Amino acid sequence: MRTVLLVSLHAHGRRYAAAGIAVIVSVAFIVVIGVLTAGARAGLVASSGAPYRDADVVVDADPENSDPSGRPYPDVLDSAAAVALVERLGEDASPLGRVLLPARRADGTPLDHGTLRGETTVGPIAGGDALRWQTLITGRFPTGPGEAVVHVWDADSADLAVGDRVRVGEGTAAVDLVVVGLVESPSTWSQASFYVTWPQYLHWRDQPTWHVGSVAVRGDPGPLPAGVLATPAQVYVEENLARLTGGTDATALMLLLFAAVAVVVSGLVVATTFAAVFAQRRREIALLRCVGATRRQVLGAVCREALVLGVLASLAGTVAGAGLGYGLIAVLPSMDVPAPPVPWLLGGFAVGVLVTLVASAPPAWNAARVHPLVALRQGSTDDRGPAGGSAGGLLVAGGTVLLAQAMAGSDRIVLVVGGAAVFGGVLLLGPVLIPPAIRAAGALLGRRGRLATANAVRHPRRTATTTAALLIGVTLTAAVLTGSATWRTAIGEHRDTQLPIDVAITSADAPLPDELLDQVRATPGVADAIAVTGTVAQLPGWADPIPVVAAPDAARVARDGGAFARVPPGTIVIDEDAFRGPRHELSLRPGDPVAVAAGESRVDLEVVLLGGWGSAAVVAPETLARLTGSPEPRVLWVRAGDDADPLQLVDALDDLADAAGARIEDHLQARTAGEREFAVLTWSVLGLLSVSVAIALIGIGNTVSLSVLERDGEHALLRAIGLTRRGLRRMIATEAALMAVVAAVLGTALGVAFAWVAHVTVVLPILSRASLQVPWPALAAVVLGIGLAALIAGIVPVHRTAR
Amino acid sequence: MATDPIPAASTRNLTKTYGPVCALRGVDLDLPAGRFTAIMGPSGSGKSTLVHCLAGLEQAGGGTVTVAGTELSTLDDDALTAFRREHIGFVFQAFNLLPMLTAEQNVALPLELGGRRLDAAARERIRDLAEVLGVADRLGHRPAELSGGEQQRIAIARALVTEPDLLIADEPTGNLDSVTSAEVLDHLRRTTDELDRTVVMVTHDPEAARYADRVVILEDGRIA
Repeated sequence: MRTVLLVSLHAHGRRYAAAGIAVIVSVAFIVVIGVLTAGARAGLVASSGAPYRDADVVVDADPENSDPSGRPYPDVLDSAAAVALVERLGEDASPLGRVLLPARRADGTPLDHGTLRGETTVGPIAGGDALRWQTLITGRFPTGPGEAVVHVWDADSADLAVGDRVRVGEGTAAVDLVVVGLVESPSTWSQASFYVTWPQYLHWRDQPTWHVGSVAVRGDPGPLPAGVLATPAQVYVEENLARLTGGTDATALMLLLFAAVAVVVSGLVVATTFAAVFAQRRREIALLRCVGATRRQVLGAVCREALVLGVLASLAGTVAGAGLGYGLIAVLPSMDVPAPPVPWLLGGFAVGVLVTLVASAPPAWNAARVHPLVALRQGSTDDRGPAGGSAGGLLVAGGTVLLAQAMAGSDRIVLVVGGAAVFGGVLLLGPVLIPPAIRAAGALLGRRGRLATANAVRHPRRTATTTAALLIGVTLTAAVLTGSATWRTAIGEHRDTQLPIDVAITSADAPLPDELLDQVRATPGVADAIAVTGTVAQLPGWADPIPVVAAPDAARVARDGGAFARVPPGTIVIDEDAFRGPRHELSLRPGDPVAVAAGESRVDLEVVLLGGWGSAAVVAPETLARLTGSPEPRVLWVRAGDDADPLQLVDALDDLADAAGARIEDHLQARTAGEREFAVLTWSVLGLLSVSVAIALIGIGNTVSLSVLERDGEHALLRAIGLTRRGLRRMIATEAALMAVVAAVLGTALGVAFAWVAHVTVVLPILSRASLQVPWPALAAVVLGIGLAALIAGIVPVHRTAR
Repeated sequence: MATDPIPAASTRNLTKTYGPVCALRGVDLDLPAGRFTAIMGPSGSGKSTLVHCLAGLEQAGGGTVTVAGTELSTLDDDALTAFRREHIGFVFQAFNLLPMLTAEQNVALPLELGGRRLDAAARERIRDLAEVLGVADRLGHRPAELSGGEQQRIAIARALVTEPDLLIADEPTGNLDSVTSAEVLDHLRRTTDELDRTVVMVTHDPEAARYADRVVILEDGRIA
């Protein structure tokens, strides 16, 4: 049988190409995920572990035996113990810690960099070169007090250079630091903007945020006091990493779900390929049986063919995936080149071999059952088998009941189980469902599509399996498109009421100059702006005066149609988010009575708390009239255009506000960040699903091309009786497109239905006013795109046959 | 000749129906060892069904089929396959050879399937058979490179390589012209004369039947 195996592989090997590609792609998918996960982990080790890279031991607080009182953070070292240890070990110790201090430039202006305003972080640098984990970019490391190196990013954003002076700290703690060098340091929990020598760092020891979190030690740390723990550096980094990599692992798990879909789809492609190839070889197999091959010998031979395909394709997939993964690591930020993730490589390989064997088992079993007499019969092959209709029907019925239950009870687990049952049932019903659907679709093409339609349905099971592969990807894509459109609209409406005003320019000190409104309206990216008039008033429990305004024309700029500003007389609406500060908070609760004082006037009002427009409190025009007789412009509310660049717009408005002595409050960036995050998520999911769709399309091209090989004689006959070469081409491409479009339409319908069920089960309980949004144009584009792709997939085999 | 004491194969009261159609209605047939028997009859007379039953490719509906002393109905599918491999050789009208194997590999196939090593003796026998059948120089070619007559002669070699008790030829010349037919039939004749094999051949061609020692006419599922 060995000769037969080798020779068959040689003769039929090319027919397995599509199945091989499907397996390669899904194995590579798994391996890429593995390599990227390992790369992200290695990146974390390289950055987070950098301070401990050359240390032997890390000394930190013993979480089980320490008294956390008197320290700014619970899990840092006792300061006295830390100081004693660093003093004793000298250059063999690298203290890691930070202090937050006020910072001013030499000219007395506040130092702003990154998110810090007039403040900066300062950390200690190791005494010896060996333990310094910062990389010097220019200049030198500090050698004594009064010297510091600055992180390049912060130097860049604060416009600092070597030689500049910065005053850090206030009062007796104030120190003038000279910048002697710029460094780069990886992002870790001990990253700071300024690094100074240990004696200089000790200078701020009494500041509230001063701390030493841990000490990296070279060699033996010697005797340690109680409450302090020494851990081998490697163990320490790995333990701390475990907390950080939770996110990486969760991402990997989510990605694996998409890989699983791709694996199932490739399994279907493999199954159809083997079914078609074995069907073409029925007579050969029967002849083998005639001349004395037992069923087991036939089964063994075809299984070995599958094994060879599985091993070769999985090997290629593993290599391709590793290559792609390492290539991506080279270009992706915050990744580092990892050691080969052996379990992932082996796992991907094993999955590939396994899916090939499992998918080829039913066709192999059928092949082994071929009756020897088939060798003596002329005529076409048939692939009839158990239709699975009744099981499919049961699954659909049971799954529908579960889905109804899920909708009634908002139960997500029942939703998933029910959805899987319905979908599995539909796949099983394929041989019953798909051919009539293809016939119906073919009828639309009229007489020209008759041959293509008849050819597309003549192997019901093969056709059903081929379309099932595409059905999976399309259903998921349609569900994701519909679900994301629904969620985006729902969240968008929700966000409109949460963040009604894009940008507010507010002045509590003096009224806003009149020309500011024109300047703001003329700023590129501004759709509209209004000036809101009012006065400033004093609210109990808040030291500074607060603008109090009435905004009858808020609807012009507010995203919620101005609903937040329609205030009944006798109440005052306050944006609670605007009064949530690091130092203190407005202690008002909804419904509280509050006495609002503006100049001589005093009005008692009831508090309503909302959010999203800024620090001006809103009252009814009648109420405002009782507070002041001459309202002045206090606030500008700005509505951004849909195509505005939020960063540029906010920057421009910030400059205008600064010039007018006003403050800017921006909700635009939060809005666009939320939208962007969602868009990135949606597109990633669609991109990941497109792998499965692509595999399925390869499968369609493959099925058609295998069928074409079978029908060589028929095609020659058709050509002989007058079908043009073009006509033949069109017939075969139409056959591929028919299968694809039927799968795409059916998948879209299923996907939208699933999205509706998920909408009722998951979205409505959270956002009761949300309505299902079906993105018809996007769905139509998907169907059309798949139809076109299938036409192209169908052209490949045509070239072969029309010659 | 019909009185040969030990027939190579025999049927007793053999019946076979396909649904309502009666293909064989009680056939008693003895195939004497070392002789060439031709089975003739019009289309649908049951000739093919008869040899399929003799070969164990189809199960008898009733009655018995005995080949080389073994009653076929007592064998399960695996045993029957092995039995066929050891004791019965086939030559069909067409599609006798696996297209992707060379002629030599095709001839060796029954040996390989039987798990026998292709030792020097086996190769020697294949070569001898090819010599006798006049295709020794064609062994390295694939079926597509052989003429119809050569293909049939390779098929005869393949059928004889296990030294079977019974060689069944089902319309072996159906696809050949008269000159090539004569060659192939001549080889079948020599198979009996020189190699002492038992041959049974189905044909509807009286010309072909003249090469046989004995002609059995089948009509409407019965021996006429």
